Amino acid sequence: MRRNVRTVDLGGAHAIVLHRPHPVVTALTRQLQAVGLKVNACWPELQADALAADFVFFDADMGFDEQFPWTQGEAPMPLIALIGSEAPGRVEWALSTGANAQILKPIGDSGVYSALLIASHAFEARQALAANVADLRRRLGERQTVVQAVVRLMESSGSEQTAYAALRAEAMDARISLEEAATRVLARINSPTQGLPKGGAA
Amino acid sequence: MKRIVTLGLLYSRSGSYARISEACLTGAENAIARLNADPKRSIAFESVSRDPGGNVDLYGPLCEEILAETPARHIIGCVTSWSRKEVIPTLEKYGGTLWYAVPYEGFEASDHVVYLHSCPNQHLLPLLNWTFPTYGRRGFLTGSNYIWGWEMNRLARETILAAGGDVLGERYLPIGAVDVDRMIDEIRATAPDFILNSLIGPSSYAFLKAYAALGKSDARFRPDNCPVLSCNLTECELGEIADFAEGLIATGPYFRQEPRAFGSSHEAAADCAVQALADLLEDRTAEQSLNIGDLLQSPAGLNSGIDAKTHHTDQPVLIARVQDGAFRVVFDGGVLPGDPYLTRPIPVGAHHQLRIVS
Repeated sequence: MRRNVRTVDLGGAHAIVLHRPHPVVTALTRQLQAVGLKVNACWPELQADALAADFVFFDADMGFDEQFPWTQGEAPMPLIALIGSEAPGRVEWALSTGANAQILKPIGDSGVYSALLIASHAFEARQALAANVADLRRRLGERQTVVQAVVRLMESSGSEQTAYAALRAEAMDARISLEEAATRVLARINSPTQGLPKGGAA
Repeated sequence: MKRIVTLGLLYSRSGSYARISEACLTGAENAIARLNADPKRSIAFESVSRDPGGNVDLYGPLCEEILAETPARHIIGCVTSWSRKEVIPTLEKYGGTLWYAVPYEGFEASDHVVYLHSCPNQHLLPLLNWTFPTYGRRGFLTGSNYIWGWEMNRLARETILAAGGDVLGERYLPIGAVDVDRMIDEIRATAPDFILNSLIGPSSYAFLKAYAALGKSDARFRPDNCPVLSCNLTECELGEIADFAEGLIATGPYFRQEPRAFGSSHEAAADCAVQALADLLEDRTAEQSLNIGDLLQSPAGLNSGIDAKTHHTDQPVLIARVQDGAFRVVFDGGVLPGDPYLTRPIPVGAHHQLRIVS
């Protein structure tokens, strides 16, 4: 997947910095404002409006789970870890938040712009992957529906091949998934009011 | 008795881009002489100069030499983005400031650099938007093999494709290389509507010479059919290319006019650097050690025209064509603020100020 990274719309985006008052916050704020973002810093709690923020930068040194008003690892926006201590326990905790990128402290003159791009990209890729997995899981759960639909269609069409072909044709005609077509077929066969193709339900 | 302020100059007087260095040095030295002779000024500059000789690995050490061994905290210098990026860690270490007087490819806003020439929203984007309706949207991209060429061409590609155009080729040469035959062959084969030339120095001169020869043998490649566009060529290099630059189109914040104020936009930007620094230091005592971020928060800083957030400056957008050996402005796009990350909205009314000059 080759995607243009600069399509991320950063102008006027809102970044929240979850860090106690510190030169790190000053340096980070300067860089974010130079890129064109609006910045708010807070500590130790994220404010309610954090849920609407476009990016959250958080302190990986002093941070803890209860700071985030969402289920661990399911932040609704890209997260960027501000890492000072590289102790494995702290890195592990930063990972558990689902951080999409990191910046090492102390923060100097650069690093924020690339972190924004990388975090956006990783966040979107993870969202897309999660949606794909959810879709595949759902389809996996529908396996039995598909089997049932084929069995029921076999009652009228005779062979497994023709029953499966009929199901596929129905899905393609209606531009829906095989699983959805199977659900429709079963609903039709099982519903006495809608009438049935050929022989009908037994 | 004037207060003496030491000012570093870090330019390569030899190597691929020496002509640009010389233009910047001329601008800086003339401005220093003028300000030092001005009785109304309370400060006078004394310059210390270092010459990396076009070797990118000498910029960091020589920048450190200026900052560690002299009182200078401000340096005017660097031509390539590569060299600028080399000195930034040293500037950061010593709290120094680089005053950068040439166009660059954007996507930087160092707290230790002041950007006094154009960035892409002030050069490349207006140039392409002017070119599309006039010549077409099918471009061929050339560049020197470092960040300037890469990023300019990436941005050009994005802009061309977004406008429904095509990129017919993209070729790079190492800095200093002059084997342009392959590029020329590809241009002849693909017949684009325009060529964006982000080559620098001798590579650029060799390319322009070969392309002019191609135009003589094939009318499709004459400048009126398929012009070469540049965001970095100015009067300071025109002497090198006078015989084959006719019809070249360049954009920049300044082109030489009579009465002559400056030789080129590089000279003008270096002049502006010295002038702005003098204004910042004028009404403070012994404050040349204050870093630029603090200086820009002072009353003089807020009036300096240097954006405190990005350290970029407003720049006129001019497009000029080489005609009879000199740049003639053909389009005036007004003055635009620098937008290094291309994240700011286009200023309201910017398009209404546009006017055709010739």
